[in-house]
Amino acid sequence: MTDPLEKPTPGPRPRETFELEETGFNEVPKRFRRFYRRWRGPGDKLGPNEALCPVCKVVIRSTKTLRAGDRVYCMPCMSRLELVEEDGMLVAKVIY
Amino acid sequence: MVDFLSNYSIQKWLESCPQGYLQDTVYGHGPDQVEPQELLANDDYREQQIRTTVQLIAGERCALAASSGLVNAAPDQASKTFLATQTLDEGRHVEIFTRRLFDLGVKPDDLESTIKTYINPHLGKFAEVLLEKIDKKDFVAGVVGQNIVLEGMAFSVFEMLHAGAEASNPKFARTLSGTIADERRHVGFGENRIGELIRRYPDKKPEVQRMQRDMTKHMLATFHEAFSHNGAGAGRTSAAQNGASGPTYQGLNMAEASNEEMEGALSATVLKEFKTRLGRIGLEYQSPA
Repeated sequence: MTDPLEKPTPGPRPRETFELEETGFNEVPKRFRRFYRRWRGPGDKLGPNEALCPVCKVVIRSTKTLRAGDRVYCMPCMSRLELVEEDGMLVAKVIY
Repeated sequence: MVDFLSNYSIQKWLESCPQGYLQDTVYGHGPDQVEPQELLANDDYREQQIRTTVQLIAGERCALAASSGLVNAAPDQASKTFLATQTLDEGRHVEIFTRRLFDLGVKPDDLESTIKTYINPHLGKFAEVLLEKIDKKDFVAGVVGQNIVLEGMAFSVFEMLHAGAEASNPKFARTLSGTIADERRHVGFGENRIGELIRRYPDKKPEVQRMQRDMTKHMLATFHEAFSHNGAGAGRTSAAQNGASGPTYQGLNMAEASNEEMEGALSATVLKEFKTRLGRIGLEYQSPA
């Protein structure tokens, strides 16, 4: 039996890795296209590796799970964003 | 220092636009795409589309004058470079919408008289407010007026027109999707550049907010006039003519909604966007009422 005090303390879950495929988004240079996709409106559910740019409404995609405090870049509108948690949801805020 | 533009270059613009979403297009649409026969054969519908396209040309001519004027007013090289690419974007928009007028049957010799006949007078006043700031080389007010108010309005109008054209007119929808992609950069520049400048020059706020209030007044009058004048409405689809179930915009069936409902939906969308964008950069939306 393992002493409960010797068990590893539960930290944040490890980030999942995601394979990004082309989505047909063609508004940035080719090498960056897989990091973005078009938003399909309010019913479009974002994945754990995705964030919506509030400035230009493009979905930004990461190869890892995104978390509050992460910084992402929206190349289509050149906005630098920081993710914050609001009402249990991840929201992107522009850094000016 | 304009940090957000540190990665922007004319090379990146080339790779994103001419070598990206504009590749293989002719005047913004596919080389084989044409206006639908149903539209060209229906005089009322064709006139409605001419009227709508004239407003787009007028708006883009204003944007061309404003962005080219801002190049010389910009205080740093990075902004000048961005505005040089925006100037070409706006010049392209003027050209593709002008070309659409020709595709709708307007003769090149009749271009200016057609614009004069159909232009919405409130749109002219909207442009005057902005171009006065550009003439004075007022960079902060000019960028708010051009890249936040004018481009913010264009973004919503293009999205509404795109929703209406997607199924019934793929040529026009393709033309619009290229301009929407351009607008993303333009509103991004506006928000990011002004977000930083307004924190540095808070004393500019009252003057900029007054300009936004005046521009908003003329914009709402433009929408009112456009929808009351336009029979089936500025953003309608041919589905309105043949009774088929139409596309939707903000939950409204565009083929069935009244002009008042469409005007209300567009105005509410644009104003909500204004409030959100202005709030993000530290400006308070001023209602024209």
